[in-house]
Amino acid sequence: MNEYDEKWEDRINALLDGELSADDAELLKVEASDNRELARAIVEAYQLQQVMDTIHVERAPDSLRKRLRAVPRQHRAKPVFSLMQPRWAMALAAIPLVLITITLMRPNTPSEADVAKARQEMAIAFAYLDKAGVVTRREIESTVGQTMANAVTGSVNKAIQSQNLYSKEKKA
Amino acid sequence: MKRILMNKIVIGLFSALLALPAIAQEDELKDLPGYVDFGDLSATYGEPKITINLGGTMLNFVGIMSSSESPETSDLISKLKGIRVQIFSMDENVDAAIDQFAKTKSSLKSSGWEPVVQVNEDDEQVLVYMKMESGNMEGMTVMVVDEEEAVFVNIIGQLNPAELGKVMESFDVNVDLDMD
Repeated sequence: MNEYDEKWEDRINALLDGELSADDAELLKVEASDNRELARAIVEAYQLQQVMDTIHVERAPDSLRKRLRAVPRQHRAKPVFSLMQPRWAMALAAIPLVLITITLMRPNTPSEADVAKARQEMAIAFAYLDKAGVVTRREIESTVGQTMANAVTGSVNKAIQSQNLYSKEKKA
Repeated sequence: MKRILMNKIVIGLFSALLALPAIAQEDELKDLPGYVDFGDLSATYGEPKITINLGGTMLNFVGIMSSSESPETSDLISKLKGIRVQIFSMDENVDAAIDQFAKTKSSLKSSGWEPVVQVNEDDEQVLVYMKMESGNMEGMTVMVVDEEEAVFVNIIGQLNPAELGKVMESFDVNVDLDMD
């Protein structure tokens, strides 16, 4: 039971026993209208008192009556799910760690379909390399004539090869 | 209110986790010498009609799968770290595209890329650049802009130009690219 529960308990008991001043009772009413838990505690304590009043037995000592009134609140079931509760917050914090662990532990093997798709994508990439080669060849043909174009390059690949050799020689 | 905020945080976390592999792959390539930062191409050309991003892991698997067909092809592919392709339709804004093309060209030059092929026609531009590191070719970039499309290809990894032609042949490149 927290500090607030104890404070409410005293005030609720005083209210039900008729010991609360009019001002304090009004204040408690205002608080209860803004606080569902307090309102529920008052109603439950009142209902318990009603039940107890119908039983004609020897009046229990005040201290016992107060304790009995507090029982429903003390044993009220906690809300089933609330993301703000510490255990849920911890569970949520653990989810990314679990997911990362699973991702890292999972064998990173693509399916045959993935590899086939990758091959197809490579073919597209190479097709565009080829396109650059065709454009280059056409440019050379239009500039120096087809015979020279054939002599200079069959594809852009040859130009790359010669540049590669030149760079290596320069480096050496 | 707190619950809504917490739900948003949880959804954000899950979204970030889903995007992690793609981000990690791109970041891994960015550190390689053959990587080219083309900048925000979609700002100039709009959404790409084709985007290809093959990382080293996938290329390794393609290489392994190709080993039975051609050991040469398999060997070349296994040395590649990434293949990136972006293709845009040139419906409008040709001038802006050509400006952007020039910017990329100057950025390549300043970061040590060597021009191999340059075709500068009014209606067609082709640039082929390669990146050399310690005598090895670490990357190749091909950019083609014509009246119909803009193509940006970046091949990252050790390339042997002599083998590249053979690999292209083995891939039976017969995609219709509308060259007319």
